[in-house]
Amino acid sequence: MELDKSIINATLEVFASMIFIDIAPEILSEGGPKAIEANLSSLIGLAGDLKGILAIQCPAEVAMGITGAMLGMEVTELGEDVKDAIGEIANMVAGGLKETLTATGKNIELAIPTTVIGKSIRISGLSGATRVLVPFSSPIGRFGVELSFISS
Amino acid sequence: MSSITEISNKINESTIEIFTGMVMMDISIAGEPLTKLSPLKQSITGMVGLAGVFRGVLAVHFPKQVALDVTGSFLGMEVEEINADVQDAIGEIANMLGGNLKTILSDRGKDIQLSLPSTISGDEYTFTSQAEVDQIILPFQAPGGVFYVELELER
Repeated sequence: MELDKSIINATLEVFASMIFIDIAPEILSEGGPKAIEANLSSLIGLAGDLKGILAIQCPAEVAMGITGAMLGMEVTELGEDVKDAIGEIANMVAGGLKETLTATGKNIELAIPTTVIGKSIRISGLSGATRVLVPFSSPIGRFGVELSFISS
Repeated sequence: MSSITEISNKINESTIEIFTGMVMMDISIAGEPLTKLSPLKQSITGMVGLAGVFRGVLAVHFPKQVALDVTGSFLGMEVEEINADVQDAIGEIANMLGGNLKTILSDRGKDIQLSLPSTISGDEYTFTSQAEVDQIILPFQAPGGVFYVELELER
């Protein structure tokens, strides 16, 4: 199954309906995923027929810009508002992915989002997992949506 | 569901059991549960999501040295840097704790599923979940330092 397409569609839908920033997926190269330098990652676990973890990875200014657009106010610190906003986006993108998978007969359940804020943070799945990273570009900068998973 | 105190006690027991039996490392409870963690410095966190009847996250936060010791003891090899072996070992510990937690929360662990474990590492970071959760943070003393087991459970 083409999970990268599902991730792209779910992310585009969330941004089109809630955040109103134009975003575009970058062309995926065969050379492997390009890392996104992130100051904030919101993660949510997926369980069931597909076991995985989905992460939204943002540099600080992109996380604040997205939150500002979502809440309709200026956001100048990586605090509660940003954590809640990006966590909610992780939750909704995972929800979109769940819908797509349900349509193909795979049932998954979602855990709750958690957010990591820091310097040079690195998120890794297990070495046996498949990793799909989709970088998006937007007027406020680049961010990434990453899924590590094992299909059962 | 059992009370937070009962769950805490069972996580304490289960953590000590995993370290004694699987990691081959003696650890002890390092004081009372905490309500908040300071930013984690030079650390690695293993986490696993819980989905189904209970939704939440189980995380275990190790300072770098403890993570290296744990990996060395668990895999029987010497490690000097946070590499893929360390990430796998720490992810597996989160996974084992999550597996035990399933049976703590629900009879024989039915109706609860675990996500894939993952790890977070960095120079300095904070780890927080979204709003309405019950939170348990339990400190443990390992030979190389103090580490924390954290449970966030949706209300």
